[in-house]
Amino acid sequence: MTQITITLNGETVSADVEPRTSLADFIRDDQRLTGTHLGCEHGVCGACTIMIDGVPQRSCIAFAATCDGSVVRTIEDFDDDDVMADLRDAFTAHHGLQCGYCTPGMLATARDIVTRLPEANEKRVRLELSGNLCRCTGYVGIVNAILAVLDKRRG
Amino acid sequence: MSEWGIGASLPRKEDHRFLHGRGNYVGDMRLSGMKELAFVRSPYAHARITAVHKPEGKEHLVFAAADLVGVKPMRAPSNLPGYKASDFPALAGERTRFVGETVVACIGDTRAEAEDLAQEVIVDYEELAPVVDMLEARKPESPLVHEQWGDNIALETFLDGDMTEAAEKAAITITREFRMARQAMVPMEARALIAEWDNRSDQLIVHHSTQVPHLIRNGLAEFLGLEQRQVRVIAPDVGGGFGLKTYVEPEELVACFLARKFGKPMKWIEDRREHLIADANCREHHYLITAYATDDGKILGFDAEVTVDAGAYSIYPFTNCLEAAMAGGNLPGPYDIPAYRARTFTMVSNKPPLVPYRGVARAGVCFATDMTIDAVARELGLEPHEVRIRNMVKPEQMPYTNVAKKSFESGDSPAAVRRAAGMIDVAAVRARQKAGEPDGRLIGLGFGSYTEQSAHGTSVFASWGVQMTPGFEQAGVKLTPDGGLEIRIGVQSHGQGMETTFCQVANTVLGIDPAKMTVIHGDTGQTPYSTGTYASRSMVMAGGATSRACRILAERMAKIGAHLLQCDEADVEIRDGKVIGPGGEVPMSEIGRVWYLNPEELPSDVEMGGVEAVEGYRPDPDHGTFSYSTHAAVIALDPDLGTVEVLDYVVVEDCGTMVNPMVVSGQCFGGAAQGIGTALFEESPYDDQGQPLASTFADYMMPGPTEIPNFRLEHMITPSPHTEHGIKGMGEGGTIPAPALIGNAINDALRATGAEINQTPISPRRIRAAIMAASNKEAAE
Repeated sequence: MTQITITLNGETVSADVEPRTSLADFIRDDQRLTGTHLGCEHGVCGACTIMIDGVPQRSCIAFAATCDGSVVRTIEDFDDDDVMADLRDAFTAHHGLQCGYCTPGMLATARDIVTRLPEANEKRVRLELSGNLCRCTGYVGIVNAILAVLDKRRG
Repeated sequence: MSEWGIGASLPRKEDHRFLHGRGNYVGDMRLSGMKELAFVRSPYAHARITAVHKPEGKEHLVFAAADLVGVKPMRAPSNLPGYKASDFPALAGERTRFVGETVVACIGDTRAEAEDLAQEVIVDYEELAPVVDMLEARKPESPLVHEQWGDNIALETFLDGDMTEAAEKAAITITREFRMARQAMVPMEARALIAEWDNRSDQLIVHHSTQVPHLIRNGLAEFLGLEQRQVRVIAPDVGGGFGLKTYVEPEELVACFLARKFGKPMKWIEDRREHLIADANCREHHYLITAYATDDGKILGFDAEVTVDAGAYSIYPFTNCLEAAMAGGNLPGPYDIPAYRARTFTMVSNKPPLVPYRGVARAGVCFATDMTIDAVARELGLEPHEVRIRNMVKPEQMPYTNVAKKSFESGDSPAAVRRAAGMIDVAAVRARQKAGEPDGRLIGLGFGSYTEQSAHGTSVFASWGVQMTPGFEQAGVKLTPDGGLEIRIGVQSHGQGMETTFCQVANTVLGIDPAKMTVIHGDTGQTPYSTGTYASRSMVMAGGATSRACRILAERMAKIGAHLLQCDEADVEIRDGKVIGPGGEVPMSEIGRVWYLNPEELPSDVEMGGVEAVEGYRPDPDHGTFSYSTHAAVIALDPDLGTVEVLDYVVVEDCGTMVNPMVVSGQCFGGAAQGIGTALFEESPYDDQGQPLASTFADYMMPGPTEIPNFRLEHMITPSPHTEHGIKGMGEGGTIPAPALIGNAINDALRATGAEINQTPISPRRIRAAIMAASNKEAAE
């Protein structure tokens, strides 16, 4: 067991974790924050994408034991965030979700695109989003939602 | 049209919880005392199990076939003559028939601990020769999957037709072989369930990621030897299905058995590797087609031989012969083909069972038919879209029964082709091809057209021999005391937005604000029986039933309302959620208050059924609705690398009345994206020993946002004359034509090279191989 202390959605959390426990399992099973979803558990599909120290990362291939001292933000933590609020509205308006399973990971990546690349065009948005798989939407609504938020924020 | 009713692109009510990470999928649930399961799976495609060694001291947590006392193997028979059903065991006892088949189950406090235990189990096997390829399986010298059968044919069907005249009159005869790869369905959430035994209700309660809770209940009761009243299946949020979640799998029987035995909830979450190697697969069709045509491209006859690799076992409830049986009936597609003959073979093999995937059979069918159409066009030097139009059933022929006895009720397929041709601008693409690309890439244009029989009714399913024939679909509606509405449906929404669209149907009849409605679905304990969500049937069937139930409610509300307004029942109408009379109006909340809280104010002859109604519905005739569509795409192919980029993709579709156009478009886009996956990327390959070669997303290529184009879509609306509100089913359709039209576009691009490819996925390696083969052939000549 390894003792870790992380800042999870603004709160300090200390726990003993097994070396093999992924950050995703720690968040979901130990901390009961189930908004982070697991789609492949080998770092490809992007459903488990969360913010670790300000960067979107795969929580399924990050070990909890290596995250000591990190600031972790999951989908449950963005209720006061303007960009996330715009993205949520846009995902609904543009039908950017169907079954909802990939959605938390999509929003994590989408928020990163909007904040980091304010001038991104459709091609760039698709490229940036290429680490997130969606089986339902054909990406049309997701890409359009992100473009709409970029557009809105450019004024 | 009201702003909330049928026809409105109402934003989805379900979105809020998903966007805030508050969905509730099976994997998110944790029950008190819950244990988790892991499985030891067969490493061989075909083997005899000679011994199972359980780790010492932990035998009580490890279960082999002999330990599952009372659990029956799954048997999914078909009434089709000659069909050979096969017993699919919950745990393989004497023999395993595919890599990944469940052999031993292990219990742990966590999944990790269960997997640790599984690692300690040793199983002895004696390897047997596997059957891996469906065409090889047809040969008499092939090994046998089920020895007692004497061959590997689960079902053979024959649709006879006289081809003599077509052959005699034909100016050209084209023969082609087509192959669609085996693939996985890959919903982002794989399979999942938690089974628990509830002593108070004396019930097995199964939280199950399923599209068809009532069918799962039927299956679990049958194979576990329980009474139906003892099984309740609840589907919470379901992370995609696409057909995968319509059947019972071995792991589920084991979890249910152990939940009862231990008196503790048992959880099994399929991981992605299990999904890719051990879960049921889909597609894998082979076609041999001979087409007879005149010199102006009119098809005179189609002679087809269809082989489907159905895997090792028949699977409950849809069997493993539905694909081939449907393929035989659907090959003529939207075309008016005078002479038709089809022989189909459902072959078993040492691979996972094959089950219907979105677009059931028709993606393969359309691949074969529409690529044959283009081969005819190329041979004759004609424009493929014009050959399509020439052969299509015309609107003036409607209603029309085709050579395979499919009855089209309405629509204009040629118009859809013309619109798609206009959107994609055929002349501009041809000019671009002529000019050539500065980067040396080859441009190709492809079309794909289909009809999508959907919401198949009793008569259709009965003819397929499936033992879960849908009948009348029912819906329940109930006014709440405060004027809200509860809608109960036995289908299950897992991305289709039914928590919104069923409110729109009810709103059209009752005028109640959808925000005041709740759709209750996916729970056998709370909803009317339904065969569930598949076959693009939910809105036609359960939507129709909801509409009818609401109309019954409307009549009763009108009577109560008229009494409160002291006017004649004939003088009131229901609008905007109110009963409106000549001199006043009462809101639904008043009707609710009076019925529930102040019944002394009700009329003396009030209908005692009150403000709750259950009504059934089935379209008449019930042969299914026929949506239709044409998709077209322009691709750029790099002849040196074999890569393909989809430059433009247009969809013209007609599904009759649209309840929510935004949702319809979303279904079209998502379907087309899956079709592009089939066309270019997705494959579950096996080696000659039956070992799966794609077990992660590094080997199994899923289309991502950079592979999928920004679709352009136009709707046509020809309401069905046979259904409530003129609705036709459409959820699956988008997947159907994409493999064909991408294939056609690639063959169009390759025309100058002499290469032609008729096999999915059309990967860079296959493209390069085809170009090399054509160039070698040319050199040899």
